[in-house]
Amino acid sequence: MSGTTAALSLLAVALVAVGGVYGAAWAARIGSGAPDSAPFGSGLEPTEHAVSRFHVRWYTVTMLFLAFDMEMVFMYPWTRVISAMGPSAVIEMFVFLAVLVTGVVHAWREGALRWT
Amino acid sequence: MVEAGAWWTLLAAPGLLVVLAALAVAGNAVLDARDAGRPVGVAGAVRPFLGVPRALVAQPRRLPAQDRLLWRTGVVTVPVAAVLSTLVVPFGGRVVADPSVGVVWFNAMEVLTWAGLWLAGWGPNAAFSLIGGYRFLAQGLAYELPLMFALISAATGAESLRVGDIAAAQDGLWYAVWMPVAFAAYLAGVLAFSFLGPFAYPAGRDLAGGVLGEVSGADRLLLQAGRWLWLASGAAMAVPLFLGGGAGPGLPSWAWSLVKTLLVLGLLVWVLRRLPVVRADRYVEFAWVVLIPLTIAQALVPALVNLGR
Amino acid sequence: MDLTGLILRVTAGRPHVLLATVPGGAAVRLAAERLLRARDWPQASTPAKADLLLVAGPDLPELRTALERLWRDMPAPRARVHARTPDEVEAALDSGRALLGSPAVQRESAAPPGEAVGHREGEHGAQERHEGDDQAPGHDGDGGGEGEAGRAGDAHGGPDGEHAPHDAGQDTEAEHGDGRQAPDGQVPDGQAPDGHGDHGDNGNHGDHGGHGGHGDHGGHGGHGGHGGGQTDMPGGLPMAEPGADRDGLTLDRLHLPLGPFLADWPAGLTVRLVLQGDVVQRVDVDEPARPSDDAAVEAFWVQPWLRAASGEPVTVGEAVRRRAAAHLDSLGRLLAVAGWPAEAVRAGRLRDDLLSGAPRAAVAPRLERLTRRVGRSRTLAWLTRGIGVVTAQKAREAGAGGPAARADGDVTARYRQWLADIRHDLPRLEDPAPLDVAVEDSPRGPWSAEAPPSAALIALLPPLLEGAELAAARLVVASLDPDPEELVSRGVVEVARG
Repeated sequence: MSGTTAALSLLAVALVAVGGVYGAAWAARIGSGAPDSAPFGSGLEPTEHAVSRFHVRWYTVTMLFLAFDMEMVFMYPWTRVISAMGPSAVIEMFVFLAVLVTGVVHAWREGALRWT
Repeated sequence: MVEAGAWWTLLAAPGLLVVLAALAVAGNAVLDARDAGRPVGVAGAVRPFLGVPRALVAQPRRLPAQDRLLWRTGVVTVPVAAVLSTLVVPFGGRVVADPSVGVVWFNAMEVLTWAGLWLAGWGPNAAFSLIGGYRFLAQGLAYELPLMFALISAATGAESLRVGDIAAAQDGLWYAVWMPVAFAAYLAGVLAFSFLGPFAYPAGRDLAGGVLGEVSGADRLLLQAGRWLWLASGAAMAVPLFLGGGAGPGLPSWAWSLVKTLLVLGLLVWVLRRLPVVRADRYVEFAWVVLIPLTIAQALVPALVNLGR
Repeated sequence: MDLTGLILRVTAGRPHVLLATVPGGAAVRLAAERLLRARDWPQASTPAKADLLLVAGPDLPELRTALERLWRDMPAPRARVHARTPDEVEAALDSGRALLGSPAVQRESAAPPGEAVGHREGEHGAQERHEGDDQAPGHDGDGGGEGEAGRAGDAHGGPDGEHAPHDAGQDTEAEHGDGRQAPDGQVPDGQAPDGHGDHGDNGNHGDHGGHGGHGDHGGHGGHGGHGGGQTDMPGGLPMAEPGADRDGLTLDRLHLPLGPFLADWPAGLTVRLVLQGDVVQRVDVDEPARPSDDAAVEAFWVQPWLRAASGEPVTVGEAVRRRAAAHLDSLGRLLAVAGWPAEAVRAGRLRDDLLSGAPRAAVAPRLERLTRRVGRSRTLAWLTRGIGVVTAQKAREAGAGGPAARADGDVTARYRQWLADIRHDLPRLEDPAPLDVAVEDSPRGPWSAEAPPSAALIALLPPLLEGAELAAARLVVASLDPDPEELVSRGVVEVARG
């Protein structure tokens, strides 16, 4: 069994199990009709739809995160070639990380990591 | 080395995961009973499982203009991703598959919960759920990078992304011993992607349950199960990554894996009761200013050790 | 084999309880919390996850609509009970359990809405009808769990008992489906994404007034009409409106009420928030709901002070005990809001033991432990630091005395003040001296029927909440913990009316 086959089979097992849960719930449910409910508003009626352009005030953190996330793309394969590449690999990677961390420190001092 | 690919592992791995998650739930219930002054015993430990049949008989529920497709996709993603993560988690000498990128696979499955929880928050078209979904993204921005550096530290130590290699490379000396920062960051990450205890921010009681506030019936069961499945999966993965896998004297390797997994799981269940919810607006700063530099420094240690070999 | 019936009977042993406390119901809530904890019946925070709606406290006509909303949002299996006094709680819980465990009652409860609107009277029917029900003698007349049981029993044996439940089930099964497969279920669901699409297209904020998905939701409204009896819940809600914010962005604003029925929230307090993201932009505090019959409510936490003021003999020990318990209650609520349920439970247990007359020797070591775990927790202090700062001067200007003023600081300072106050009170738990209202503070400040301390605390809220994040806002309210009961209490209402 190759890795891909195994992964797909495991996905199938998981989905069958999830389907089983829904099937059991369908068979055992006490009422078939779904009453119209309102989203919880502490007992009061909603006045508008909740889905909206949500103000994420941590968006600057997402930019920083993206930078690091791309760095991870390099770092995963890098782990496998350290000995083969020698000290230059380690130096390059950690100089790169140092540059990124400098950016984090700058962003931190600018207050990008605080939003309240 | 671990042996991969037996067909029965496809059923054994999810089954074992469910058993471990159930043990964690039961253990948590016992501690609950102790705190509440109820008699501590088996009867109290299994009571939470009454919630399973209860969820199955529940009547369906409909909210105005809910996005049921996205909602249910999100809900299902969490437990399914937890099960998929066990693909690469060896138990004793057995594993479902041992791909050369096992660590990345685990990481990728864990990141799926970002999408899952956000969708679960968005779907019901309810304010508390929506805020809960966004809360998880903010929390993710904080916990994810320390967790990734922790995973990379272990991978760097073995110079391999194959989980079996990482477990085998800790011959005699566990990574938890000489990479304690990575181990701690990993365990914090496990609690965070299980959104339990101090990281229950997206499902906070101050949000009336947040992402869990509007789910009922089978959806609720799956989302709740997802949390504990992730906790169990994270605990099981800690063993090959940091605790030497199934290696140990005397007992067979599966027994060592079981003992170590249960110890990590017990530790996590204990910790999740000892701390209040760490809000992302505080944790983000701490994570970026303290944890990320520390975990990067931690990743440097195995890199230098490798050069010295 | 009736598997569903079996499941209902078994799972009725551990229902999730949505505890809705109305002002005047603090004593009932305490009794309920003690029993729920002992029975391991978890508390639910929303109707979606609740099995049993337990209304704690007197009847408040103003809050009936809100209770009705909670009840309608609960999916079956469900039951609803009402305890007006602490003594009724046990019977109410038992009758709730019996209702939940009865397949016949639950099938009835789950009967889908359809033509049989009348059939669902008292449950899903038009609200007005239910309120009529409520006032009718014989439903609520004798009060208590049994009275409620009688009413919930109506669900299958009442005025519409002649309607055959099986027919109802089949009729609407065909028409209604389960919302996933039935065509009319797909109308709103399928269109919701379109609504979002429109919504996203409104990149230029100006033209948002078009309400992207409005038309779509109209369709859903029609569907609601089809459901019958749901005219107060049209799907045609407006989309959130954009508004300027402090960051110079024009993003959508959400209106979110906190209270009257929110877990770990002062009973009956309603704060209407305008949120942008999760930041509070505007705060409006509603007048607390008042009981129709003034004499019925006696604020539990200031009871010794009320009695002493009206000339009854009250000892200092009793008052001090009540005050310490009040602080523990507040602390437990703060811990729950802060996401520390394990310690919140411990604070609740200590509170209940104090109220049931535990001697100092039994309480002191546990208080020590709580002080060590919670009061000295660096994590909790780090998480609450700098939130909701109320200086002593600001508090005095607002008219607040008590722990909030003495703490002279943020949320951290206030919960530490509670712990310090409790510790200070412990030696006097058995003090037999008569209570002098002018000397001993009530739990939330010096007692005065003209200006109850909680009125000052509520007045402090809006400026503190504006600009705070939702989580911080909850912490601020929990750390001040105003008690709306004081405002509607017997002595206070009489003074206000002259």
